[in-house]
Amino acid sequence: MTSPRQALHLPGPLAWLVVAFIALTLGMPALRPVFAALFPYLDRPVYVQESFVSLVLAHLELVAVSSGAAVVVGVLAGIFVTRPAGAAFRGVLDTVVAMGQTFPPVAVLALAVPALGFGEPPALIALFLYGLLPVMQNTIVGLADVPEAAREAAAGLGMRRMQVLWQVELPLAAGVILAGIRTSVIINLGTAAIASTVGSKTLGSPIILGLSGGNTAYVLQGAILLGLLAVILDLGFARLARALPRRPS
Amino acid sequence: MIELQDLTCRFGDFTAVDAISLAVDEGAFCALIGPSGCGKSTTLRMINRLVERSAGTIRFAGEDIEHFRPEDLRRRMGYVIQSVGLFPHWTVERNIATVPALLGWPPARIRARVEELLALLRLDAARVRDQYPDQLSGGQQQRVGVARALAADPDVLLMDEPFGALDPVTRDALQDELLRIHRETRKTIVFVTHDMDEALKLATTIALMNRGRLVQVGTPLDILARPESDFVRDFVGREDHGLRLLAVQQVASRLRAGATVEGAPVQETMSLRSALSEMMTRGCDRLAVTDAGGRPVGGLFLEDMVRRPA
Repeated sequence: MTSPRQALHLPGPLAWLVVAFIALTLGMPALRPVFAALFPYLDRPVYVQESFVSLVLAHLELVAVSSGAAVVVGVLAGIFVTRPAGAAFRGVLDTVVAMGQTFPPVAVLALAVPALGFGEPPALIALFLYGLLPVMQNTIVGLADVPEAAREAAAGLGMRRMQVLWQVELPLAAGVILAGIRTSVIINLGTAAIASTVGSKTLGSPIILGLSGGNTAYVLQGAILLGLLAVILDLGFARLARALPRRPS
Repeated sequence: MIELQDLTCRFGDFTAVDAISLAVDEGAFCALIGPSGCGKSTTLRMINRLVERSAGTIRFAGEDIEHFRPEDLRRRMGYVIQSVGLFPHWTVERNIATVPALLGWPPARIRARVEELLALLRLDAARVRDQYPDQLSGGQQQRVGVARALAADPDVLLMDEPFGALDPVTRDALQDELLRIHRETRKTIVFVTHDMDEALKLATTIALMNRGRLVQVGTPLDILARPESDFVRDFVGREDHGLRLLAVQQVASRLRAGATVEGAPVQETMSLRSALSEMMTRGCDRLAVTDAGGRPVGGLFLEDMVRRPA
């Protein structure tokens, strides 16, 4: 079904948000008078230690690498434990990943630093562990929800195991798996900000510096961009979910 | 076409199928029937190796099924299940094309074959082809299920209670379609059911099972007229037994040749049960009988019907 908006080729909310986000990222220094008026008691009302462009790019890279790894490992692990050969590992894996999830991210970072040093490696490890659970859980649930009759028919008609997986199980589980990836990426987007405490450059850098230095303007600048980014990614995933092949009602 | 020899299947200590031997001839319609848990579905699923047997052999077209890869074997045996199992993310056309696509047929040939099957199953191709399974009624879904099983022109059709979940009217219509398809294609069919009337209506051979064992094998008339044990007598139903017996015999078997009877004639291929019903409706005890061409051949008398066959 086409909505009137699509028929007229007007840009949707997603496009407007992207424009707003890019404009804010590039033009934050130009907003100095605004922040100066809002926070008259601050000497430096705009974060200038690094450009916001480099912060956004570093933040996105951190999320992309950690979530990408979490998606690959999570989906593969989810597939593995729903095969007959891997069924025995399902309980163990569930427990381990759930433990990883209950661990506060700050604690993971603090433990990773002595082992891996400051900077990106501890942040990547923490975010990877964090993003793993929703992806794996949803992969398992999505595959378990595939109607038994479809699975039996697929085998009975002569599909090989990989064909059943690719042609029947994964397409039918795709919606649920994508929802898990969406949760995982959005969580990581927010958690990545904390990685600035161990020296990674992210949108969390102005927030943390602002919190420790009593500079509310810095906190606001980092938080606005981070919030916008989260909404944009979420809407992007919603659009992706609609583009998936038809899901049975 | 299919020969089972001392076929056995154990799950742990439980013996689901116990040393059964059965031959299904080419073109036969064999009903495996019995109460729940008698091993009939397990037997069927051993034929296409969805369940691996514990002992015994199965031969398909003269060859031990061990010699086939399971997938290759299954692509030569259509498979229909009670829950249909259409792929919900595929259109009707793509569903029917499942096995041809696995076999790598060219698209034009697949398309033509889908067209042919939709016509065979009396589905409106233009309407249904691009629909998704959840847009179809239960009866239409099972028609698509049967079409999908027939798609690559398999040698054998395996059906596991295919009409068990349908309402009586739809079930009756699909049974008639299946009889017609069996007549037209001469496929060998192995059909699992727990419904004696369904087996009597469809099958040329009935194999009655109980607790993993084969109790009696024979034509519908054999099973009804010459039950070999109390279990068989109970299963074919003591109450409706006589009517069922009439249902599997034709008017021709009790015809008094040459007799002349007044009134509208019936055909000699009509079942005796329908003829009896006709007498009840008309309130008479005799019917004029004609052959398929409409020529009078004699009369059917109630007293001849009541007498047991020699």
